[in-house]
Amino acid sequence: MIEDDIYRASSQYRLWSYTEPSLQSLRATTNAVASERVRAALRRSREAHQSTATSAAGTPLPESSTEVKNKDEKDVECLTPEEELVLVRYYCEKTLELGETYKPPIPTMVRATAIQYLRRFYLTNSPMTYHPKSIMACALFVATKTDNYYISLRQFADGIPGDTTTEDVIAPEFLLMQGLRFTFDAKASQPPHLPYETAEDLQQGLLSIAPPPVPSSSMSDRIARAHGTTRELLKSAAQMTDAYFLYTPSQIWFSAFLLADRPLAEFLLDVKLGGPVTATIPAPETDENGLVNPLYEIRSKLHHVLTECSALLQSYTPLSSDPAQMKSLKRIAKKLYHCQNPEKVNLAASQKRESTQPSTAAQSDAGIVTSESETERLAKKRKLEQEQKVRQEDDVFGPELVTQRTKQ
Amino acid sequence: MALSPFGSRSPSMTVHSPNTAIRLRATAAQKSFTEPASAAVSQPVQNGDRELTEQLNIDVRERYVKDKKVGEGTYAVVYVGHLRHDPSSLVAIKKIKVNAEYKDGLAMDAVREVKYLQELKHPNVIALHDVFSSKDQNLSLVLEFLPGGDLEMLIKDSDIHYGVADIKAWMGMLARGVWWCHENFVLHRDIKPNNLLIASDGEVKLADFGLARSFADPLFNMTHQVITRWYRPPELLYGARQYSGAVDIWSMGMVFAELLLRVPFVAGNTDLDQTSKICEAFGTPTEENWPGVSKLPYYIATDKAHLVPLQGRDFFMRQFPTAGPVGADLLMSMCALDPRKRSTAVQCLRHNWWTVEPRPTKNEELPRKSGGTKKMGDDLTRRGGELDEGMFKSAARQLDFGMK
Repeated sequence: MIEDDIYRASSQYRLWSYTEPSLQSLRATTNAVASERVRAALRRSREAHQSTATSAAGTPLPESSTEVKNKDEKDVECLTPEEELVLVRYYCEKTLELGETYKPPIPTMVRATAIQYLRRFYLTNSPMTYHPKSIMACALFVATKTDNYYISLRQFADGIPGDTTTEDVIAPEFLLMQGLRFTFDAKASQPPHLPYETAEDLQQGLLSIAPPPVPSSSMSDRIARAHGTTRELLKSAAQMTDAYFLYTPSQIWFSAFLLADRPLAEFLLDVKLGGPVTATIPAPETDENGLVNPLYEIRSKLHHVLTECSALLQSYTPLSSDPAQMKSLKRIAKKLYHCQNPEKVNLAASQKRESTQPSTAAQSDAGIVTSESETERLAKKRKLEQEQKVRQEDDVFGPELVTQRTKQ
Repeated sequence: MALSPFGSRSPSMTVHSPNTAIRLRATAAQKSFTEPASAAVSQPVQNGDRELTEQLNIDVRERYVKDKKVGEGTYAVVYVGHLRHDPSSLVAIKKIKVNAEYKDGLAMDAVREVKYLQELKHPNVIALHDVFSSKDQNLSLVLEFLPGGDLEMLIKDSDIHYGVADIKAWMGMLARGVWWCHENFVLHRDIKPNNLLIASDGEVKLADFGLARSFADPLFNMTHQVITRWYRPPELLYGARQYSGAVDIWSMGMVFAELLLRVPFVAGNTDLDQTSKICEAFGTPTEENWPGVSKLPYYIATDKAHLVPLQGRDFFMRQFPTAGPVGADLLMSMCALDPRKRSTAVQCLRHNWWTVEPRPTKNEELPRKSGGTKKMGDDLTRRGGELDEGMFKSAARQLDFGMK
């Protein structure tokens, strides 16, 4: 039994590992299906609209209405898979920030799980169908449950800036779990159990190699620095890119380590696997039977994987720190506003409609808001709304990208 | 009784498929070709309303047929079912009930059970073939069909005769299952005879992961309110918030003792009673035999006059003669009061007992009993940490079920 066997049994390997082409094609399919459905939904809502309009006027004009329909249909421009990905990534960054607003902050590992949930969910769902803003909060809440960081839904909802209700948070839970194909384990966030799975293990491993190549005090400083940089990369770039869909956790941390301190990482590989892979020594050593040294083969395979993975990690720049990316994000958000599936906008409300029990909303509509808690809640909501107006600018979510409009 | 057709793994799904990514993609691609046409032409509303994931879920659900209800508890309903295309391939379908009291979404028991069973694939852990949801957002777990009942049923039935070779076979399977959990950094936290289900081929399977969790990071606090009382180790009774796989090993030791004696070995009526029964049986924990024990929150020092000395090997040999001296030694190593001195799962598996005579009974020759399907139904619907009402009737009446 080796670690590889254990990893291969994991849901992360079985369900959430892809090649680059398969990942791309899955996203393209998801996007195509969602676009088609958005167009159909918009068509339906327009038809409904028109039929009321025409019946009110009493004079149906079939020809002209068809014309209008065709024209409108052309106007609906859907997001591309690339645009969807940018949007999802932005909300992954927001998830980190949201976790930070709690007191005490939600642990990094729980947030990392939530980010993987978001990324996995949007492999088979489109932001045009379900807005990442609503899925994000739910993903973080579900992650607190699956990662044993207990916090009640009430507490959780109260911690979200703005007036998010418990219903808003929990409404997409089932949908999210379905999108996760009911697998909750995300290796991206796991505690350091497998050897060399994390930066800490790496530090330990390096410190245990004797003798150090340079005097040891400066060496341990250097290792500590490399450890710090590796950790940061694992917390940011590794989470925000497709790394965990494409590589194993140990490949990812080692790639991060390569970026942090290449000579040190190469040194560790030399110690563990022997001989560096360089262009100047192309011919692999063979033994008397003409067999290639298996370590050499492993080393060159590894070299290839680590190079690719490091490049992926290196390609990451946070959206919020890059004006050009933010500009394009705003454009995408505006575009999304027009191609959001109108039938899926308010999940909490649609669930209430489906539910057979009389909802509190119905009661308040009928003007029987009596319970103290309800009154309190409304008072609080008003207060929060007021507060939100005041500090719109320094809200962690930033000012609304597009002014919120009530959709049908 | 039909044979369980699956071995330990899934017949139909993801577990075996070499590349699920491709599968998923195939389904997706197929969908994209068929849907626009059907949505636009034949059934514009119904079909157009299915998301890709919804469709995947429906595909999974359609694979199974529910036959009859075999158990119902407060937490779940269990049905026997089969694969639609193969009526002889039986499965157990556990439908989790929506808990009206719990407002925070899917209940933690279900979250834990699904999370860990998705990861733990082993011959001695109940296999989770599939998970799907029904229209009313109820979660259904498609589990391995285990018609052989459970170990509790065999222990209690005085018409069933078994010997030490049989116990060795059962304990071996239990130890391998526990080892696999620990190897995957999962604590089961509810090992007891009625969570040890038996397949039609006699294999013992660890079930009910409703209280399971991953190993915590050092210094991270966990709840001590886990494991059904009679199988709960002293560190949890003393309120330890940081503990290890050793808690499961203690439970394993208690199951071992119960298999040998055919009654629960230390069956306390309350948590306090459980602690004192453990002290009487194994010795009083003190700073000498368990450094640090006095710092645990619920530890109560015993005055010198009532100290029971730590029991040695001769006690275990006297108490459990059927186990033989080597077996008694293994049991003793599982029942060390100090969790740091207790054997780990690997150490248990490396013990001599497995290799000395008698050899463990082959699965097909193990004692068995009919009526196991009903028992499976009961076992799978029970909430974690609960003692079965009526199982040990006299004791059960005095038990405090408020296991919070």
